[in-house]
Amino acid sequence: MAAGLEASPEQRRRVRRSALLWALIAAAFYVAFIVMAVVRGTK
Amino acid sequence: MAEVLTNAESHDEHDHKPHGWRRWVYSTNHKDIGTMYLVFACLMFFIGGGAAMLIRLELFSPGLQFFDPQMFNSLTTMHALIMIFGAIMPAWTGLANWMIPLQLGAPDMALPRLNNLSFWILPFAFTLLLSTFFVPGGAPAGGWTMYPPLILQTGAAFPMLIFAVHLMGASSILGAINVIVTIMNMRAPGISLLRMPLFVWTWLITAYLLIAVMPVLAGAVTMLLTDHFFGTTFFTAAGGGDPVMFQHIFWFFGHPEVYILILPAFGIVSEVIPTFSRKPLFGYEAMVYATASIAFLSFIVWAHHMFTVGMPLAAQLFFMLSTMLIAVPTGVKVFNWTATMWKGSLSFEPPMLFALAFLFLFTIGGFSGLMLAIVPADYQYQDTYFVVAHFHYVLVPGTIFGIMAGVYYWLPKWTGKMYDLTLGKWHFWLSAIFVNVLFFPQHFLGLAGMPRRIPDYAVQFTDWNRVSSIGGFGFGLAQLLFPILIWKCIRSGVPIGNRAWEGAHGLEWELPSPPPFHSWTTPPSDAVIARGAEH
Repeated sequence: MAAGLEASPEQRRRVRRSALLWALIAAAFYVAFIVMAVVRGTK
Repeated sequence: MAEVLTNAESHDEHDHKPHGWRRWVYSTNHKDIGTMYLVFACLMFFIGGGAAMLIRLELFSPGLQFFDPQMFNSLTTMHALIMIFGAIMPAWTGLANWMIPLQLGAPDMALPRLNNLSFWILPFAFTLLLSTFFVPGGAPAGGWTMYPPLILQTGAAFPMLIFAVHLMGASSILGAINVIVTIMNMRAPGISLLRMPLFVWTWLITAYLLIAVMPVLAGAVTMLLTDHFFGTTFFTAAGGGDPVMFQHIFWFFGHPEVYILILPAFGIVSEVIPTFSRKPLFGYEAMVYATASIAFLSFIVWAHHMFTVGMPLAAQLFFMLSTMLIAVPTGVKVFNWTATMWKGSLSFEPPMLFALAFLFLFTIGGFSGLMLAIVPADYQYQDTYFVVAHFHYVLVPGTIFGIMAGVYYWLPKWTGKMYDLTLGKWHFWLSAIFVNVLFFPQHFLGLAGMPRRIPDYAVQFTDWNRVSSIGGFGFGLAQLLFPILIWKCIRSGVPIGNRAWEGAHGLEWELPSPPPFHSWTTPPSDAVIARGAEH
């Protein structure tokens, strides 16, 4: 295996953590705008 | 990174690559996935362009010639959806896939399996979207903006449209996550953020925009779906909903989307102009901050698309002034590109020609954007061909020429061969001439009062419509040179060394041409970075 393709456990953790973080942020935007519309509709 | 290891374990021992269909369907290699994105984008460009040719054919003469109004509206709607989501965005993602790891000294994208998924969602999304032409009621005809209540009248195509938009959005979000994670975690040691090439910077900012706004579009179309099928009334006035709220939500997505389409072009032009001026980019850091400023401002200007809908005077003033403010960082960019060329040793190969045309013609689109930002003037221009001329100047000689500049710049690197420069110049000059014949008269038509999205028009608009249509046919035919040039390059191009262009800097030019299947398997040394990372 080529040396450069090996990832340290720390790098793997960082990749996984930041991917999850950005996925959560995307999901939050999705839900937030629907919630905003629901709240506005029930006023 | 687990995916990288798996890929490496199976394939990297002797740098061999899988063959046949498995190489593409199961691919986790950033170059192969980049190639698939680019081929897909090219295919969609010709399908969307075909729809544009049919639109111009219908508009060649007043009266209804070939299509009924429903079909005409389907063509305009599908042309926009295909070009935006099928051609431009996948082209940028393809370029990102190819170039970001090469430019950062990374062995691959951070999440290669996610990368595979992001791509393979797209053929399904567009098969679904294009198949709406064959369902009862025809393809969506309510415009790419999907405003209710009109879009709720779509026939059997409605859920297909919504699902296709969801799929495109999911693909974009996954691609954006991959880009951010790659840039933030996979840079070779020694490549700090402010040593990254401008293309990587503009893509990083684009990816942030994508993550912020694609879910908003998904939320909006989900609400359309529930309004249509599940009895909700988010946007239905009869049930207490508000159709105007859809427009606010849509344009909160829609305006940053414009910058999603154009920011990577800024990055490409920032790579190409220094190379062919044989000078470093003028004001690198200012370019980074200007890009970030444009991205920030793109979130607070959305309602300039809706001035005629009605809003308080304070809101009109706010959105007018915030829109005009975008001219400042954009002006910084145009100034810096011009200053880069100042006293440079210029040469005019196809990438530089496309970049220069971008500079002039995108600026024309920017100026007409400033005119549209003026509230009382916008009341006059709204829904006329002036708007069509404006955004096509931004998106065709802006975005499309930016993509062309990028492909012509890096094609020798990808194939290891130099293409036919004369044919490239023919492609450029025909495109540059006909794009103006196509879109400039649309300013006159709009100012004279011709409404957009109509298959028929008053006879006084005939002459400029004919000129515009002739320009359209010429532009469309000129694009056929592009696949011919690429085919010729692959088949019989002249082999090149690492560096295709004399003035090129960047880590990608330190690799052989074409780069090996697995590149940067060991991070570049400090000396290579120092040589490659000059801006």
